[in-house]
Amino acid sequence: MSLRTGRTARAGQYAALLCYLVFLAFPFLWLISTAFKPARELGSLHPTWIPEDPTLDNFRQAFDEQPLLRAAANSLTAALCAALIAVVIATPMAYVMARHRGRLSTAATGWVVVSQAFPFVLVIIPLFLVLKYLHLINSLWGLILVYVVWSLPFALWMLAGYVRAVPPELEEAAAVDGAGKARILVSVTAPLLAPGIVATALFAFITAWNEFFFALVLLKTPEKQTLPVVLTHFLGAEGVADLGPLAAAAFLATLPSLVLFAVIQKRITGGLTAGAVKH
Amino acid sequence: MRRRLPSLAAAVTTALALLLTGCSGDGGRTGTDGVIRLSFQSLAWQKESVDANKQLVREWNAAHPDIQVDYVQGSWDNVHDQLLTSFEGGEAPDIIHDASDDLADFAYGGYLADLRTLLPDRLTGDIPQQSWATTTFGDGVYGVPFLQEPKVLIANTKILESSGVRIPTPEKPWSWAEFRQVTEKLTKKGTYGVAWPLKEPVSVTLNLGLSSGGQLFHRGADGKVTIRFDEGDRVMPGTVRDQVNSDGSAARPALGMGGSDTLPGFFGGKYAMVPLGFSYRQQVVEQAPEGFEWTVLPTPAGSGGLAQGVSPQTLSVAEDSPHKKEAVQFIDFLLRPANMVRLARGDWMLPTGTEALEDPALHTEENGWAAGTALARALRPAPAQSVRGYPEWKDKVATPALQEYYSGAIDTEELKKRLVGDGNRVLARYQR
Repeated sequence: MSLRTGRTARAGQYAALLCYLVFLAFPFLWLISTAFKPARELGSLHPTWIPEDPTLDNFRQAFDEQPLLRAAANSLTAALCAALIAVVIATPMAYVMARHRGRLSTAATGWVVVSQAFPFVLVIIPLFLVLKYLHLINSLWGLILVYVVWSLPFALWMLAGYVRAVPPELEEAAAVDGAGKARILVSVTAPLLAPGIVATALFAFITAWNEFFFALVLLKTPEKQTLPVVLTHFLGAEGVADLGPLAAAAFLATLPSLVLFAVIQKRITGGLTAGAVKH
Repeated sequence: MRRRLPSLAAAVTTALALLLTGCSGDGGRTGTDGVIRLSFQSLAWQKESVDANKQLVREWNAAHPDIQVDYVQGSWDNVHDQLLTSFEGGEAPDIIHDASDDLADFAYGGYLADLRTLLPDRLTGDIPQQSWATTTFGDGVYGVPFLQEPKVLIANTKILESSGVRIPTPEKPWSWAEFRQVTEKLTKKGTYGVAWPLKEPVSVTLNLGLSSGGQLFHRGADGKVTIRFDEGDRVMPGTVRDQVNSDGSAARPALGMGGSDTLPGFFGGKYAMVPLGFSYRQQVVEQAPEGFEWTVLPTPAGSGGLAQGVSPQTLSVAEDSPHKKEAVQFIDFLLRPANMVRLARGDWMLPTGTEALEDPALHTEENGWAAGTALARALRPAPAQSVRGYPEWKDKVATPALQEYYSGAIDTEELKKRLVGDGNRVLARYQR
């Protein structure tokens, strides 16, 4: 490939990437723009990106009308607990699935795939009855349990992939040096899995943070409702919405995920085992 | 770093444990002090409406220390699935706010209490029979219809007056043919006479079809329902199709819009009129530019007069509730004429109660209240709401067929073939 052709291809790649970024960013930027617009601008035939008369009224109204902070605290609690528990359970399970190939491992992988096929509506009534039996209806603990179970299959599948990427030679080398199984797991494998664990925790956190239907059905009292449920209180029948406050509240609800991504993205994308093994 | 990790994990765990303190479930429905506790799940969402509901609950609780009501904020989003799960799990609220077109499954499924023997005569007599028909399934009454929303034409006053067309009134509305002529006359460069937001075309078509004698669903002597597409059923959809495809007096892009989506075009003078639910006036008041003049007109009339279908909002009582009598007492309080007016104004809708409808607050010209209130007597139950299999017919047959018809992709015969032929096959499966 000539230098010129290479540059053209690179320019094309950047152009495609830019288009994709615009496509991804458009709804979020529009959300921000809407959040700062007064009601009369929302009804404008020629909407502008930058609000002509920016206002914080939508945020004030959102906080006045709905307990956003309390709902955010509930969401944060549920999402953090779910992420933490899912990772603690999934990590040793994923190790076994990845390192010890056998019927059990194959069956577990099959279960992971099949479990993703059930829609919420199909499982919600049996789940509700089970949680009622356990006295976990209208309880954040019950919701956390559901989120852990719901995110576990994918977390397991994801982490197993990370475990497979860790060269077994490293563990063998540690064993030759006299390290026991537990020591190998804690001192050799676990640190190398850190990016995978972080990515999996992030997945579990965001799944729980954004989840709506289980929270709607399982939590009854306003004091326990999570953010996605509270956001729907800005929606009426047949898709009618209180658009300004909804956009303001939705913008605030998006921030934790964005901040979390920004903080830990380097850990996810960082080299996993670069230079660990000399082939 | 390795030493910091366990302490960090311990700190996070402790913090979460503290946050979770007090997160476990709550108790039963009757307190140890003998006070009856009822839960009332409301779907009110607009601030005025939520405030009115909460204030009424406070007033009830102050006056009834032995029957306390807990206000639970529900959501229109996924309300059917949420209620179904609660019913199945035996955890449904005692008093349930919903809409009449969502009640059939719950009523037939035995989840809702039959209110016939529980309702006080005052309430039964105050709400007209056509409204009770929306919550009557089989022999039972499974909800109290209390708020309803007719479709109205919200019109740009300046465009309307400058065109010289006759302004319709509830006493002398436009006919469908006249409406078509008017929209042609209102159509100028850059302005369409009307924008029909038909993203969800089925209920609008069925409800407005009543005005020309359309019915579509016909119940036979054996109780089975069949679909027919008669002359009266063709008038409203035929008019819209002609406006879009022949006259160019209705904006084609609006066919894919929801009601709110048409408002910017309406404010910008792109559409002279928009047929919308009565409660959309609130958005018009909030979002219209300074000096924008608008008015509320009745929808066109036909052989059925101003008749149109509605699915009122309802209050029901769960069959599992151990305190049905007290729940109905609360509903009776909530729907006293003066209270019904407060709820109606909070939601920008019409009350069903005859006495409430006479309240002067609903007969003011301001914000089109009087024009809408004048339509109340013409409101009828939405045609298909108690028909089993209607949701499937609506989603799989009627919605795509009507969308194609309005856009001009298929003609009337093909529409009839699909609505009737395919439709009856769907209904037959539910009526074996």
